[in-house]
Amino acid sequence: MRQAYPVRLGPAEQTLIDQLKAAGADQAAERLSVAGLPTRRFESYHYTDLKTLLRSVPPLGAPANQVDVPALSLPGAFNLTLVNGVASQQGEAPEGVIVGTAHGGVLTTRDDAIVHINSGLVRESLSLSLDSTLDQIVQIAHRIEGEAAHVADAIKVFVADGATATIVETFSGSDAAHVGNHAMYMALGKGAVVTHVTIDLSARATSHFATNEYHLADGARLRTLVIHLGAGLARTHLFPHMGGADAHADVTGLNLVSDGQHADITMETHHAVPHTSSQPLFKSIARGRSKAIVQGKLVVARDAQKTDAKFMHQGLMLSDEAEILSKPELEIYADDVVCGHGSTCGQLDDDSLFYLLSRGIPKAEAETMLVRGFIAELLDPVDDEGLNSALQGIIDGWLLGGK
Amino acid sequence: MTTPVLEIRNLHARIEEREILKGVNLVIPPGEVHAIMGRNGSGKSTLSYVLAGREDYEVTEGEILLNGENILEMEPDERAAAGLFLAFQYPIEIPGVSTMTFLKAAMNAQRKARGESELSTPDFMRAVKEAGAQLKVDSDMLKRPLNVGFSGGEKKRAEIMQMALLKPSLAVLDETDSGLDIDALQVVSKGVNALRDGKRSMLVITHYQRLLNHIVPDVVHVFADGRIVESGDKDLALKLEAEGYANYGGEAA
Repeated sequence: MRQAYPVRLGPAEQTLIDQLKAAGADQAAERLSVAGLPTRRFESYHYTDLKTLLRSVPPLGAPANQVDVPALSLPGAFNLTLVNGVASQQGEAPEGVIVGTAHGGVLTTRDDAIVHINSGLVRESLSLSLDSTLDQIVQIAHRIEGEAAHVADAIKVFVADGATATIVETFSGSDAAHVGNHAMYMALGKGAVVTHVTIDLSARATSHFATNEYHLADGARLRTLVIHLGAGLARTHLFPHMGGADAHADVTGLNLVSDGQHADITMETHHAVPHTSSQPLFKSIARGRSKAIVQGKLVVARDAQKTDAKFMHQGLMLSDEAEILSKPELEIYADDVVCGHGSTCGQLDDDSLFYLLSRGIPKAEAETMLVRGFIAELLDPVDDEGLNSALQGIIDGWLLGGK
Repeated sequence: MTTPVLEIRNLHARIEEREILKGVNLVIPPGEVHAIMGRNGSGKSTLSYVLAGREDYEVTEGEILLNGENILEMEPDERAAAGLFLAFQYPIEIPGVSTMTFLKAAMNAQRKARGESELSTPDFMRAVKEAGAQLKVDSDMLKRPLNVGFSGGEKKRAEIMQMALLKPSLAVLDETDSGLDIDALQVVSKGVNALRDGKRSMLVITHYQRLLNHIVPDVVHVFADGRIVESGDKDLALKLEAEGYANYGGEAA
């Protein structure tokens, strides 16, 4: 027998409900007042209990017009900004890129509180259409400015058949207890090749949420790299949908957490048609008293024969108090597939460290080399040299800075 | 009298509660190559790790002097900068760190520790190319992650190449012949012999005599039960090869 118990709503939920109602999103408000924010009993939030972690939500952000230098310096990039949810572009769009806006949110409706809130609050989304092969990186800088604010924004990207693009999103803002709820919907046409990198560089006081949905047509190739290193609470939810034969996705991510941080990458990949493949590879590095989480679910539809998918999460603990949590899930309805999952967790290898020391490399430098080596598998495939070294710079900053 | 490159005095070391080195005494004058032979488990490899400063071993008694300086209190990286090099029996594979990056970091770290300036990139490249040519380490290998996917021979050649670049005053070669076929053994030995310059000293640790046909030692020591039990010239190695270690107590390996 199932009985619906009334949920006791906290201040964060009350604020969210009021904000949704004010935005005219009555359904989302109703849903939230019935179910509340997800707790650990909700499977996909098992290690990120929002009811406990999200104590309060600031007022909705007022439009701000601040145009800052991009968080990441990528020479030659085409820069777009979303400041408190308001889009603007710097310079002329490269040929084959059409920038526009559209009403409402971008995400597919699904049973997920963060998705409901985003879709309920976003009035206008940024749309990008990429029609040909782009040499320039498209950089989208999300910023939350001013006093603590709750900001929901959304981007829809269409990548035409045969087009190639590299899209980089950064998340940053003023040092305040912001709540960012960001959505990205990306459709990859037949044979499209896309690299999508997202980097959370928010202030420690900020809570960062991102939902990325990808739809891949025949022969499309996607590489994603999610990097969490800024916000005190960060969660990126990835939904790749393998919808065309020979589509392939390298879904990758990196949690870098220091004392007091909580970062969660949750992925749910749907292999919907035969002959698709995905290679989810995630790494977490945790130091101090911190928590890094990766959940990876592979869903293979009944018709999706010959699916080839392997989930992997590797954790590196740099302190005794750190926690790294890993949850792979397989949900397979087809009978002729190669699917698997793996998970490892450990400290820096003593033998490797001794080997480097024995060659005269001091301990701190040797440790940094080993950590860089641990991450290399994620960074090496990022071909663009400028982007690669910018990412390396950010990660080095994390490695060498603080605890 | 010239200061020996290595002087070990009454060295005792243990791992956890087990004593493995039980009073090692050894003096290697400049330019000499000494071999240590012994059966498996006699403590030969432990000696090499203790020299290099591996944390797992606790030195309970004795001294190790490198060029007259006691190195027991030094960290492994400081010992390396002071001129000690250990060629590993099993070189460690380090994914994600290219051999080139590693070599540059090691050479510059040692230079820095000695108060010298960093190598310029052209000077570094030239040195690596020269050392690589002699040991048949090509640029392809140098681009690969350190030791990852290297064959046994490639790993040992890479070790000796590191030694050629780091120019230690004392090289400890731990079972350098293990895992090598005849051709690889010749390349490696040639590389080692090229580094014998009348000043640099070497300690060659081996189970078999065959390596000593290629790297001819000045002195051969027999190691048994954690200490040196006999010393002689290179003919001692031949005698051991013929008679085995049975005369030195303990059970046959």
